[in-house]
Amino acid sequence: MSLETLSELARKATKLAVKKGADQAEATAFTFVEDLTRFANSQIHQNVATHKDGLRVRVVLKKKIGDVLVGAFDPSSVEGAVSDAIKITKVSPPNELFKSLPEPKKYTALKGTYDRKTAICDPNFRADNAKRAIQVAHNKANFVKAVAGSYMTGSASFAVANSLGTDAKAQISLAQMAVTVISEKQGSEGHGYYSAYARNVKEIDVDKIAEKAADKSIGSVQPVRLEPGEYEAILAPDAVALSLSYVSNGFISTWFQDGTSFVKYNLGKQVFHKKFNLRDDGRDMATLYVSPVDGEGVPKQSLILVKDGVVNERSICYDSYTAGKEGKDSTGHAVVPFLETFAAGPDLTNMVMAPGDASEEEMIKETKRGVYVSRFHYVRTVNQPRMILTGLTRDGTFLIENGEITKPVQNLRFTDSFLDVYKGTQMIGKDQERQALATIPTLKVTRLRFTGVSEQ
Amino acid sequence: MSEDLAKVALRTVQKLGASYADVRYVRIESENLHVKKGVPEEIRRRTFAGIGVRAIAKGSWGFAGTTILKRASAVDTARKAYKVACASARVKKTDVKLSPIPARKAKYSTPFSKDPFKVSLKEKLDALKTAERTAAAESKQIVKTSSSSFRAHREKKLFLSSEGANIDQTIVWCGGGVSATAIRSGDVQIRSYPASFRGNFNTAGYEFFESLDLAGHASETAREAVQLLSAEKCPATTTTLITAGDQLALQVHESCGHPTELDRALGTEADYAGTSFLTTDKLGTFRYGSPKVNISADATTPRGLGTFGYDDEGVPAKDVPLIKEGVFVNYQSSRETAAHLNLPEGSSGGMRADSPLAMPIVRMTNINLLPGDWKVEELIRDTQEGILMLTNKSWSIDDRRLNFQFGTEAAWLIKNGSKEQMIKQATYTGITHQFWGSCDAVSNDDWHMHGTPTCGKGVPGQVMYVGHGVSTARFRNVRVGIA
Repeated sequence: MSLETLSELARKATKLAVKKGADQAEATAFTFVEDLTRFANSQIHQNVATHKDGLRVRVVLKKKIGDVLVGAFDPSSVEGAVSDAIKITKVSPPNELFKSLPEPKKYTALKGTYDRKTAICDPNFRADNAKRAIQVAHNKANFVKAVAGSYMTGSASFAVANSLGTDAKAQISLAQMAVTVISEKQGSEGHGYYSAYARNVKEIDVDKIAEKAADKSIGSVQPVRLEPGEYEAILAPDAVALSLSYVSNGFISTWFQDGTSFVKYNLGKQVFHKKFNLRDDGRDMATLYVSPVDGEGVPKQSLILVKDGVVNERSICYDSYTAGKEGKDSTGHAVVPFLETFAAGPDLTNMVMAPGDASEEEMIKETKRGVYVSRFHYVRTVNQPRMILTGLTRDGTFLIENGEITKPVQNLRFTDSFLDVYKGTQMIGKDQERQALATIPTLKVTRLRFTGVSEQ
Repeated sequence: MSEDLAKVALRTVQKLGASYADVRYVRIESENLHVKKGVPEEIRRRTFAGIGVRAIAKGSWGFAGTTILKRASAVDTARKAYKVACASARVKKTDVKLSPIPARKAKYSTPFSKDPFKVSLKEKLDALKTAERTAAAESKQIVKTSSSSFRAHREKKLFLSSEGANIDQTIVWCGGGVSATAIRSGDVQIRSYPASFRGNFNTAGYEFFESLDLAGHASETAREAVQLLSAEKCPATTTTLITAGDQLALQVHESCGHPTELDRALGTEADYAGTSFLTTDKLGTFRYGSPKVNISADATTPRGLGTFGYDDEGVPAKDVPLIKEGVFVNYQSSRETAAHLNLPEGSSGGMRADSPLAMPIVRMTNINLLPGDWKVEELIRDTQEGILMLTNKSWSIDDRRLNFQFGTEAAWLIKNGSKEQMIKQATYTGITHQFWGSCDAVSNDDWHMHGTPTCGKGVPGQVMYVGHGVSTARFRNVRVGIA
């Protein structure tokens, strides 16, 4: 379905809701195509091609709000969604904190976000690339035991209209590849991982992904046990991105308004190192899910989250509802429909951390005794205002001694305040890597508290 | 209409030459209600329907799914599934083999008294508002955020296979919860009832939500949140740990549920969630826990969130012992993974997909820690010194499911057989088999079903609803107070 057809559908549903008595109405039509080839044990074991349509209708009647989503675009489904949303408003109490759906604002479309060849990629193409990755990894060493991973191609399109005049649309194509390599020597396994996120299959360098994953895996066999404690640490972009996805909850208006955000207790303070600069920008082509507008059709703009280590009230991201509660305007962070999670609310999906001037080699050279972390795994928040996180290392953890990586170590558990960890940022990588929701350099931090070791 | 489309898709993929195929027509309705600080913040209804076609061609799997419910789309989706399977065969080491099952023609519906979708919105929202306002009233200055939630899910699915299966199921579940967040001087403490993260859920009707009596527990929930602000921090030590069911459910989930999934043990989840320390050489011999520990995967447990009639391969719901008197005796499996290990009993019946657009994978059903021979009061009375932890707050475990760390909303210091003092920021950590090996008591008088509706697994990511029957249990020499 074309983007223009999605727009027509959104406008039609909005008009229908108003005709049926809504004070305000909004409709979002979307299509998400996800084709994914998954491999493990060096063969393809799962392979899917999916097409998902959705129409979300939000209706406001005397501050009573009905929110209905259906997975079809036929006239009876559209009519049913609008009628159901209206019915909800007839029987529900008002939400007195609701101010208004967003007023229309002009936006400039983004160019070059959609590649048709990527969006409709053939399964044989993905299978052949999976085969290539498996071969490259196995060719690295004869003790590479198994290769796993996935290659995804597809597209995401949405159009949103509201009764105040908002009429916006966006479309991207997607290509993602991730490779995990498992090596084994004398009964000891080593794992390595690398991934790439793009909007065009041409940007997916299969050989590079497979080689990097294999190198980490080969170097990780026969790890030694490192005693828990505080160590200098070099965090690869994947590790920074995962920890940051939890820390960044502090910049979300729902957390701020509930009093659980660390920003609320540190307004105007230098929470992070002064070298630490972070923003969210849905128009930055260096990020993956670029879009000129958010899920409510509000234009995306750059929001400074951290400037020179300092956070303040302007660091908070809003959608129209949470902004209205504080008499503010949305910052354009309503989640786009195909990224909608279980809970409603705004989110950060295009974070960019400013690069520094160090290479990873220089960081290692500057480390006396520390740990190189390729990835974090299963990170969770233990304490929200202090942003204490726990989690483990995974897929390549190495000991650095006197400026050199000397040996692989068993996976470690960390439990630490990431306000403190990031405050201890010592060096920032000059190269950024695009992860799913953030574009991030490598960081060297003065200390990270490891609290446990996992068994081999 | 739906059966016609499913039949069209099945015929198409069979004609193309698939050696095996199944088609699921699935329609999922959900309702999410959330009242926060006195206003209805979410009144959301979602409906999705579609067909998913799974096929084996040239010895490999292919899958395609669509939400477009038209004949042409059903044909196109079947063709895609076949084409994708052929593409998979380009990177194949061995042909897919399935353990045999009889092709069943059957129907199943979740038993319930009150359809949660037919109860008026007003009644549900009134119940939520009463509970939320009761929590807020406990201490208006200190309880900064209070909320209550209701969630209902109805899933109609039709399963047809090239072997002749025709299974029609309707699964209904619902539940909810209430929580209060107390804040003073940057200290944030939360208490929830009957469980954290929006409550508890069972395959049942609205009568289950009513039985939770959120309003009746709201004051105590908020009062405890306020009390936690004045509580001392959990000490950093090694001690006896008693975990209540609303924490132990997630411990069972993470440290027994996931590592006993055979797809993980065989390496097919290595690229995402990870593998398992319970490798196939350990089956039948490995001492996972103490003789007090008996854990089963039981898809027949009444009201369990993982209770159904048949899995998404047409395998009937089973009760499969996983850990018997501490010994690892079985995996959770699928037809393919069971065939891989030549398991004589075949699939454990745990293959499920979270939507018509997802390929089924091995999922937990109800992973239950079977009741022991203690009463909760006896168990506490029998403990000279220790900590009782309640209600999960944080959870983390490594990619082989060995090193875990959990945090709970509240905890009590136990001294000389009684709860002496409330403490906060309680955490504990351990290694799975050592932890379960230290279990010396399991209660039987507070055993009930806990529902986890947000279990994530797979690529593309799927979110499944699973259950855990647990009670209170005691563990010796556990490291606590890490954060």
